[in-house]
Amino acid sequence: MENLALLWGIIGPGVSGAIFGAGWWFWVDAVVCSAVQVSFLHYLPGIFATLAALMFNCVNKDEIGYDYYSPYGDDSEWRVKLWLFVAYVVSFVCLAGSVGLLVQDALTNKGPSVWTGVAGVLQCVLVLISGLVYWTCHSED
Amino acid sequence: MALSRSMRTCLHSGRLALLAILVSSGIVLQILACALYNNWWPMLTVLMYLILPMPLIFFLGSDTSSIMSNGGDSWVNFTKFLTGASIVGSIAIPSILKHAGVIGWGALTMELSSFVVFGVAILWFLQMNGEDEYSGVF
Repeated sequence: MENLALLWGIIGPGVSGAIFGAGWWFWVDAVVCSAVQVSFLHYLPGIFATLAALMFNCVNKDEIGYDYYSPYGDDSEWRVKLWLFVAYVVSFVCLAGSVGLLVQDALTNKGPSVWTGVAGVLQCVLVLISGLVYWTCHSED
Repeated sequence: MALSRSMRTCLHSGRLALLAILVSSGIVLQILACALYNNWWPMLTVLMYLILPMPLIFFLGSDTSSIMSNGGDSWVNFTKFLTGASIVGSIAIPSILKHAGVIGWGALTMELSSFVVFGVAILWFLQMNGEDEYSGVF
């Protein structure tokens, strides 16, 4: 079992990069192959998902205990928790938004095709998973 | 290892020559994929190939064990991230071009085989480097 943890430390960031790339390239494929112009609203879930993945990778070293030396004194745990909370809220809103856009695209014929909506959901999910995977590699130290 | 020293050097330079042949055939395949069909879109993949060997370029000067070790610098992690993304990117760009109808099946096959050739070359190069450290102990 320990060997698995070591192996994960070596290839983990690479796997996370691969998943991140897959998420965005699915979106690029949907935009390129779309018959209609994809409006900027459809880009938003992906962009915010990337932001959220970045945000919860910033709190790596503090671990679950959240005890670290800080100049604000002992009660500064709440800053880290607030940061994480905002990151989670952004990621869930992105997921919900992309699923909503998928449903909207499936219902009407005039807007973007179903593949655009599906690619949007895939992009959101894969980007968030990639962020989580990268976070687990950090904590292996 | 029962080989004499001169034999080992000969084998080593033979391996390096084979590696160079692999890399150049990868480049040839990539250029052929564009030139044969007179469609220069697949050259976009070259962008991904530039990012692919970044961990090797940056960290080969320092001890190579930093790539294969756990944890490590956060910059090492970031370059591994870039490598993973560029691996997916070099598969994704030809597939997207094919999906959009910009290139045909032949160009797609040549692009993907060029990627496989480069991958084999890089893996073999990494393994050779690891072997070098080993044989230094003897």
